[in-house]
Amino acid sequence: MPPLKSLQHQFPSIDSNLLHFCASHGIFSVEDFLVHDLYMLVALAERQTSSKGLKEGIAQVLTFLNNQHFPWMNGVELLESTQHNKHFLLTGFDGIDTLLCGGLCEGNLTELAGPSSSGKTQFCLHAAAHVAYTYMCSVLYLDTSNSFSSKRISYRVNRLLASPNKGEKGRSLEGIMSSILSHSVFDIFSMFETLHQLELSLSSQLFQAEIQNSKLRLLIVDSISSLITPILGGKGPQGHSLMLNVGFILKKLAIDYNLAVLVTNHTVVGEGGNSKPALGESWKSVPHTRLLLSRDQMSNICNMSILKHTSMACGQTASFRLDG
Amino acid sequence: MEIWSLPFSPSQRAKLLSAGYTYLHSFSHLSPSALAAGAQTAWDILCEDRTMNHITTSCEDLDGILGGGISCKEITEVGGVPGIGKTQLGIQLAVNVQIPVEYGGLGGKAIYVDTEGSFMVERAFQIAESCIQDIMDKVLQTDDVGVCQENLHVNAILANIFYFRICSYTEQIAVVNYLEKFISAQKDVKIIIIDSVTFHFRQDFDDLALRTRVLSALAQKMMKLAKKFNLAVVLLNQVTTKCTDGSFQLTLALGESWSHACTNRIILYWKGNERCAYLDKSPSLPLSAAPFSVTTKGIRSVASSCKRMRTT
Repeated sequence: MPPLKSLQHQFPSIDSNLLHFCASHGIFSVEDFLVHDLYMLVALAERQTSSKGLKEGIAQVLTFLNNQHFPWMNGVELLESTQHNKHFLLTGFDGIDTLLCGGLCEGNLTELAGPSSSGKTQFCLHAAAHVAYTYMCSVLYLDTSNSFSSKRISYRVNRLLASPNKGEKGRSLEGIMSSILSHSVFDIFSMFETLHQLELSLSSQLFQAEIQNSKLRLLIVDSISSLITPILGGKGPQGHSLMLNVGFILKKLAIDYNLAVLVTNHTVVGEGGNSKPALGESWKSVPHTRLLLSRDQMSNICNMSILKHTSMACGQTASFRLDG
Repeated sequence: MEIWSLPFSPSQRAKLLSAGYTYLHSFSHLSPSALAAGAQTAWDILCEDRTMNHITTSCEDLDGILGGGISCKEITEVGGVPGIGKTQLGIQLAVNVQIPVEYGGLGGKAIYVDTEGSFMVERAFQIAESCIQDIMDKVLQTDDVGVCQENLHVNAILANIFYFRICSYTEQIAVVNYLEKFISAQKDVKIIIIDSVTFHFRQDFDDLALRTRVLSALAQKMMKLAKKFNLAVVLLNQVTTKCTDGSFQLTLALGESWSHACTNRIILYWKGNERCAYLDKSPSLPLSAAPFSVTTKGIRSVASSCKRMRTT
């Protein structure tokens, strides 16, 4: 538990006066503070000459502690918040949207696993183009294998713009493509840094005021397994914990800022020669929804099946066609 | 940002935690920056890509399926059975990257990392000579012969191929780690060819989990180099037999995890007596096949009169 004095420069009301006062009662760290009888402490503070400053400081520490945990919610509040906030983002493939009961769910982490060249990157590119077009929002694409193809995105957006039911005029290819951001990350530590910067930007007021119409709604990581495979296994458990931590950070971003997060994973050969998603048993419980993709030999038809879903039965499948 | 997500060694991390520092901002000043500094919009990338160059393979059909040739900023894996022409393709690309910009090339240098010892200087000399001859033939039509002859010389082409001979997997890892410094010093390197990436990882490599980790780390480092210096990376791979449901199938070596490491993949195979290339994985191009041939001049398109007989 950190010592109280490390809070000193963050909160000016926690000054040396307060620290001295606390130290005189044997309180040196935040843990001591929690364990101590607070009513007694406040009563004792009253008797001091600088009681106002001391009480302010104590209140500040208590607020800081309260902010460390997620607020309590009851079932009704959760249901209302879900109905109000958690929308589905259509991916643009009708069969898949029906399969997923509406598309990619905001607030959820969806994993798309499949063998090499099964259409994962194509699915992500198409979904990014479709979401940016339909919802006039921003999409962030974190790319680990230099496979972000602006050509494919422009192809998709041009087809959407040319379709008969375009309601709004004046939307251009440039406008829509400018709201799709792509960033390359090549190792797990730069991924943490990128996600941290993203969180800072999303939470700062400045960002929200600047970009009213292009709120970030979809975050795609293609692929998360290329970042984790180099560190998983080996001598220490560090790789394992980093993998779980990146999963938690992605889920936290999804819930806090109402994003839909889509990650891709590759497959490995399991027992009996069947393919199973990579990254092992511990990763299985991290995504909310898991999908398995496969492509028929030499064709453009891809089949998607549900491995895990929070509200749908597993094993259901749907197909989609990669055009062009 | 919390301490555990930073690359500290466990002992340093333990020391920081016991001193009470759990967040990066406890001991450094952090200012919120714009959304993921370094992110580009898709529109900017599209505009950049319009001017992106490709490295021609000297075979029009092969260039056709690759969208103009081997693209920069991407890792292309080329695999095939022994004798199909992987090393020939590697040497051809090492020469073709040096074609000056005026004649449709990149005017860059090449790094050739040889793990098998299959690079032959005499063959590179032959291919370089034919490449210059082809350029001269094209230039002859525009009467600029004199200028061309001065600038292109076989020795200059050979001098711009940086050759590394690797004898073990640790040397391979060391070379990849060293490449960043080397390329920053050299400037102008436009292609890295590793022939082959598989060789030292196949025999006597007991720990398969270690192999997966090392190879994926290698691939990620190459990706970073490709993006940072805007160059092409070509990795040549061997084949192995996979047993599925009692039948045997030829697939590329190094396993499933490795197949996800590249951006593009080309498989070279025999179709009767003809060599063919199949584009197996690409983020922006349709999967298709094209025939090619290996001649004394290097990799060329198939013309019905000069099909080479397969030597078995």
